[in-house]
Amino acid sequence: MALLEVRNFGKRYRKRRAVAGVSFSLERGELFGLIGPDGAGKSSLMKAVAGVLAYEEGLVTAFGVPLDSEGNAERVKGRMGFMPQGLGLNLYPDLSVEENVDFFARLREVPVEVLRERKGRLLAMTRLEPFRDRAMKKLSGGMKQKLGLVCTLIHQPELVILDEPTTGVDPLSRRDFWAILAELLEEQGCSALVSTAYLDEASRFHRLAFLHQGQLLDEGTPEALLARAPGTVVQFRASSPATAAARLKRRFAGVESYGDRVRLFLADTAPQEARRQVAQALGGLEVSELETLEPELEDAFIRLLPAAQERPSPILPGAPGPAARAARTLIEARELVRDFGSFRAVDGVSFQVREGEIFGLLGANGAGKTTVIKMLTGLLPPTAGEGRVAGADMGASSLAIRQRIGYMSQAFSLYRDMTVRENIRLYGGIYGLHGRELAARMAWVLEMAGLEGAEGERAGRLPMGMRQRLALGCALVHRPPVLFLDEPTSGVDPLGRRRFWELLTWLSRGESVTILITTHYMSEAEHCDRVALMHAGRLVADDTPDRLRQALEKEAGRLLELRVDRPMAALRVLRPHFTGVSLHGSRLHLFAKRPKEAPSLIRSLLGRAGIALQGVRQRSPGMEDVFLYRMGALEER
Amino acid sequence: MRDWLRRLRVMTTKELLQLSRDPVLLIILAWFFTADIYIAGSGISMEVKRASMTVVDLDQSEASRELISRFRAPRFQVKELLFAEKEAAARLDRGERMLLLEIPPHFERDLEAGRSTEVQLQADTTHTVLGILATGYAARIVGGYATDRALEKLGIDDLQLAAMPRVEARRRVWYNPNQKDPWFMSISELMTVITMLSFMLPAAAAVREKERGTIEQLAVSPLSPFQILFPKVIAMTLAILAGTAVALFGILLPVFEIPVKGSLPLFFSVTALYALAVSGLGLVIATLSRNLGQVSMLVIVVLMPMLLLSGAWTPPEAMPWLLRELMVISPLYWFIELGYGILLKGAGVALLWKKAAALGLLGAGLFGLGAKLFRRQFR
Repeated sequence: MALLEVRNFGKRYRKRRAVAGVSFSLERGELFGLIGPDGAGKSSLMKAVAGVLAYEEGLVTAFGVPLDSEGNAERVKGRMGFMPQGLGLNLYPDLSVEENVDFFARLREVPVEVLRERKGRLLAMTRLEPFRDRAMKKLSGGMKQKLGLVCTLIHQPELVILDEPTTGVDPLSRRDFWAILAELLEEQGCSALVSTAYLDEASRFHRLAFLHQGQLLDEGTPEALLARAPGTVVQFRASSPATAAARLKRRFAGVESYGDRVRLFLADTAPQEARRQVAQALGGLEVSELETLEPELEDAFIRLLPAAQERPSPILPGAPGPAARAARTLIEARELVRDFGSFRAVDGVSFQVREGEIFGLLGANGAGKTTVIKMLTGLLPPTAGEGRVAGADMGASSLAIRQRIGYMSQAFSLYRDMTVRENIRLYGGIYGLHGRELAARMAWVLEMAGLEGAEGERAGRLPMGMRQRLALGCALVHRPPVLFLDEPTSGVDPLGRRRFWELLTWLSRGESVTILITTHYMSEAEHCDRVALMHAGRLVADDTPDRLRQALEKEAGRLLELRVDRPMAALRVLRPHFTGVSLHGSRLHLFAKRPKEAPSLIRSLLGRAGIALQGVRQRSPGMEDVFLYRMGALEER
Repeated sequence: MRDWLRRLRVMTTKELLQLSRDPVLLIILAWFFTADIYIAGSGISMEVKRASMTVVDLDQSEASRELISRFRAPRFQVKELLFAEKEAAARLDRGERMLLLEIPPHFERDLEAGRSTEVQLQADTTHTVLGILATGYAARIVGGYATDRALEKLGIDDLQLAAMPRVEARRRVWYNPNQKDPWFMSISELMTVITMLSFMLPAAAAVREKERGTIEQLAVSPLSPFQILFPKVIAMTLAILAGTAVALFGILLPVFEIPVKGSLPLFFSVTALYALAVSGLGLVIATLSRNLGQVSMLVIVVLMPMLLLSGAWTPPEAMPWLLRELMVISPLYWFIELGYGILLKGAGVALLWKKAAALGLLGAGLFGLGAKLFRRQFR
C-alpha cells in the first residue's frame, strides 16, 4: 500500500479554486517532486497532506489513515515532518542552532539520550556542527535551510514534506541541500514530498508531478515524462539570430534565442525531419553548428501547458535588427568597495558594460550582487572606488543617473491596489512625463507588455507573468538607456520567463537598452551576452557564456551523465576519482578529463562495488555547472 | 519648478487613490469621525447621574423620611430602603451600590430636642472624581436639610431671612454656560482622533511602501525624499480635514449643539497645521519601523504620553507641577488650547498666532527629521 495517497484533491479559498482534481501516490522510500510556478497550488496541497489545512474535495490518505478530520490528522502527525515555505520561517531567529534543534525535539518528545546521538549525527551531516552556538538569524540562507531540515527530521519521521525548500537559496547551497536530503532519506529510510518552482531541479526526483493553475498536468518518473513528450530540440548559431528567430516563429512555437544561438523544440518530430523543417523555415539563412538534442523536462512541461492561455507576443515595432555594437560604455564600475561595519560586502569590483549588452551578475546569496546594484543606482554610497552610469558619475551626479536608469526589483514594485493604467501614469509622472508624451509611452508600454485590454485591471489581480511585464514597462516608461534588473523572474512560470527574456533580448537588440541583471536561475544566464560571477564580494569570472563553458571543459573536462542502479552507493565510490560528482534523481553527473577512457574506468570502479552502469552520455555543461564548479573550487580554498 | 510641482501632484493623487481603495482604512476613518465621537460625547460624562444608593433608616420617623426624600433623581437613586444594618455594607463591597446612607435611631428625637445628631454616608470612590462629586452633593443635601430645620426651629420665615446679613457666592460660568460634558468630551475626542490618525495614516502609508518593496523603486527615481514623503502628508491631511468636517457638521454641531464662537476657516487651518506637525512625527516612526506592527507599537508608545500630557484626559490643574511643566512639549496640548480657543471662546488670529507659530515650528522640525532619516535608511 502506498505511504501517501491523494485522490481527486480539491481546495477552494472562498470562491477561488486553488487546486482541483489532483491525484497521485507516494511509495515508501520515494523522493517525489511537485513542480510548478507560484500560484500553481503546491502549498495548499502540501499543507493538506501535512494535516494543517482543511480541504473540501477528494481525500488524502497517509499511512492508511484518511485525513478527513482533525482527529485523524493528529494521529499521523507524529510520523510526518513538515517544513513550511520561507527561508527559516519555522525557526526561532534568536535561539541558537542547538536550541532550535532541542526545541523541536522536545516538541516531538524525543528521549534525551536518543536526541544527543541523533543531533550530533544530523549536525555533522549538514556541516552545522561548528555553529552549534550561533544564533539562527546569523546563519546564511543555505545554512538556515539546512537547520530547518534538521529540525524537521529530528523525530525521525517516515514522511517529510518540504515546501519549496530551495527557493531563494543559491545554486551551491541548493546542490548541498539535495545531496544531504538524498543521503538522509537513504539513511533514515524515509520518504519525501518536495515542491519546487525550479524546473532545473526536476531531474532530482524519483518521480514528479507538474502542477499548473491548480491542475495536475502529468505525473511520472523523469524518463516517463520525457518519453511522453517525444520530439527533437534543434539548436544552432546564426550571425543574425533575431532574423532567424523571427522566421522560425512564423512556423513553430517555443523558439528561444540565447545570445547568437537559437533553440527550438519540435514536438513529435524525428531529428532528420526536424533538421529539414528548420532549414526550410530558415529559407537559406546562414547558420552554423546546427545540432539536434533530446528534449529536456522543461520542454515536456511547456508542451503540457494549456495552449494560448495568453496572447502570443506581438510583433514589436522597430523589428529587431542585428545587434548594433557601439563601443560606448554605459555602465562602468572601477574598484568598487563597500563596507558594512567591519564586514566588506563588495571588494574591488570592476567591470564594463557596453551599449545594448545584456550583462548578467550571478552569485550566491550575500555575494554582493545587490550591493553592487545599489551603489550603481545611487542608493548606496561606495566606501571606495567609482562608477559611471549612462555618462554620469555615480558619486557626483546621482540625480542625473536616477533620471537615466530604469530599475526593477524582485518585488516587482507595483502598486497592487492601482490599475495597470494608473501604475504606468504614476511612474510616467514621477519621471516628468505628461500630456501627449505620456500618452505615447503609455501605448508603447501596453503594447510591449501585451497588456492591451487589461488597462483597467488592478495590478494585484494580474497573473504573475503579466505583472512582471507591467513592472518592466513601468521601469522603461521614461526611455532609460540603462536598465537594472534585480532577480526579476522569481516565481514566474517557464512560459512567462521565456516571454520576458524575449522582451529583454528585443530591448537590447532593437532599442539598444543596456541591461544589467541578476538572477538565481542559472539557465537564464545563457541569455546574457556576458556573465560575471561574484563570490564573497569579489568578481571571480567575467566572460561570455560560451567562453566560460569552454574554460570549464578545458579545466575540468567533459560533463558525463551516468545511469546506475544504486546512485547513492555509486556516488560514494566515484567521488574520490572524479570532480563534480553530483546526484540528479537516479542519475549522476561528473566531469571527466579524458571522456573517451572514462566510461571503462567508471565501469570497473562501479563493478568492483557491485554496481551496474546502465548508460553513459556526454552532456554540454550548463551555466549552473560552470557556476557550481567555480564556486566549489573557491569554497574549498 | 513646474516639474517639481507636477511630481508632487502625481504622488499626492497616487496616495489619495490608494487611500480610496483601502476599505479597512476607510472604515476606520468613518468610525472614528462619527460613531467614536458620538459615543465619547454622549456616553462619557463626569457628571453624577442616578448614583445608586442604599439607605438604612434606623429611625423610621417623619424627619428621616423627609431627609431621604431629598436624595432623588437626577443625581441620586435610592435603590432600597432597609431598616436594619445587616447586609447593607456588603452591597457597597460588591460594587452594586455607590453610596450607603445610614440614619441613626433617635434621629428625630434628637433634632426635636435640639441636640446635634449625625448621619453616616459611606461612598465607593474607586472612581475618584465621581466619588468626590457624589459625597459633595450628598453633604450639601444633608447641610441644606440641617439649615432648613435650624431656621424652622428659630422660627425665621423667608421675609426675615432676606433681611439677614449673609454672603452669597454668585457663580458665572463662561464658554460652556450649562457646563455640558458633551461639549468638552466630544471636542477633546475629536482632537484625540485627529492626533491619532495624523500619526497613523502617513506612517502606515510610508511603511507599507517598505513592506511591498515599492520604496526602492521610488528611491531610485529622481524624486527627493521630500517629494516622496510630503505627498503622503498632504493626502492624509486632506482625508483628516474631510473627516473633521464630517464630525463637526455631522455630530458636534447638530447633535451636541456646540455653538461655534470663532471662525471655522481658522479652526480648519489650525487643524491642518496640527495634522502636518504630527505627521512629521509619524514619518520619523515609519522610518524607524520595518512593518505595520512596529509602527502601531511605537505609535502607542508616543501617543499615550502625548494624550496624558495634553489635558484632554486630566486637567492641568490636577497635575503635579513637573508634569504640568512638561505639557508644553505635547503638540496636542497646543492644539487643545487653540481648538477650544477658537470653537468655544471665539478667539481670533491676534490672540492665537504665537501658539500656532509654535505648532508650525514643531511640525517643520519633525518633518525635516523624518525626511533625513528616510534617506539614511538605505545605507
